[in-house]
Amino acid sequence: MRELGKAASDDDRPLIERVRKGDQDAARILYERYFDRIYNYAYARLGRAEDAEDLAIDTMTRSLTRLDLFKDQGVAFSSWVYRIAHNATIDHYRRHGKVTLVALDHAQLPPSADPSELAVEQLSNEDLRVALRGLTDEQQQVLILRFFQDLTAAQVAGIMGKSVGAVQALQHRALGSLERTLQGRAVN
Amino acid sequence: MIPEAERLERLAERLRAVDPIAPSPGAKIRGWNLVLAAVEQSATVKSRAHPMRRLVVAALVAAVFVVIGAVAASADSLPDSGLYPLKGVVENLRGVLAFSPADQLAYHLDLAQTRLTEAEAMIARHRIELAGKALSALNDQLDDAALVVQAEKASDSTAGAAMESRLQQAIATHDEQLAGLQGQVTNPAAISAITNARDRAAQALETAGTPASSNGHGNPGASPNGKGQGNGATTTPHPSLNHS
Repeated sequence: MRELGKAASDDDRPLIERVRKGDQDAARILYERYFDRIYNYAYARLGRAEDAEDLAIDTMTRSLTRLDLFKDQGVAFSSWVYRIAHNATIDHYRRHGKVTLVALDHAQLPPSADPSELAVEQLSNEDLRVALRGLTDEQQQVLILRFFQDLTAAQVAGIMGKSVGAVQALQHRALGSLERTLQGRAVN
Repeated sequence: MIPEAERLERLAERLRAVDPIAPSPGAKIRGWNLVLAAVEQSATVKSRAHPMRRLVVAALVAAVFVVIGAVAASADSLPDSGLYPLKGVVENLRGVLAFSPADQLAYHLDLAQTRLTEAEAMIARHRIELAGKALSALNDQLDDAALVVQAEKASDSTAGAAMESRLQQAIATHDEQLAGLQGQVTNPAAISAITNARDRAAQALETAGTPASSNGHGNPGASPNGKGQGNGATTTPHPSLNHS
């Protein structure tokens, strides 16, 4: 069901070479392969369809026109694209400020029998997205890449420039923060 | 109470179950059109940049060939040639590379012979003023050669004597050539210049035979940088003729 989650494969390389030689069909294949993933990533980060659209287009434009800067030295093309998307996100925050579009106070969260335990199965997708955007930049990134994009810890480590162990620790802290955020909202 | 690990695992599973948000088909088409336009523009810029780069490389290669060709052509140039100053530059470089006294002597004698050949050519072309300058430059070379010999005699009498003998032979040969030349010309300025050159050559020989301390010339160890370096076209002006 989750088509977006498939990790980038080694078969990007021949396509990249073709794009470098000016092959538009190859560019189209790479665009189709990555646009939805980047849009999904951007939406999770920014929370607005229009912003996600702009960021995805910007990311794909930079990726496919600046292939001369992409050095295939152990870094997958997919990692490079995600890094561009991340940088574009940071640029977006700088230009527009980091805003939360849905106020936390308005979220309708399901109560649990034990107030300290969260009925996560009953949370809506949008509640989760909103709560996630309240985390730190790194925590958001690791959770989005690991669970929304279905990337492995090793792939996320490559994108974020961290060790696998550091990514796993960051993921643990991010889940804890997300849980506390959701609990705080449920109590309120 | 559920353990933390289990709670976080449940939360992680819930996050995995969040359905991806897909862009609208219109947004995707619009995005592709924008990306395609950027890709096409980028390809155009690159294809324009390549001929420019090739042009610059070609210009650099051509410049290198021109410089090499000019240096080669200047080797046989005469004082009335446009390449003559370049010949002086090359000769100066040779002088910088002459380190030992023997090399310095050979350098000055070689240039002295070159100046004499140039003077003969200028007289044949009735360029008397240029011939006079060439003869003056010839004497500058002999003066420097004499100073090199003088210094070598002071430090190593055997080697100095051998170098003095070499200088004597060179000056004798030059004098024979100058005498022959003097017999062929009728121009008074040319005759005067040749006479002056022969006199100065004899003085150079005397200098070489005099101990270093008695003539006030000092240490000629830096002789390649002296007046007699190169053809004089690029470093110092040619001395003017007294007889013209």
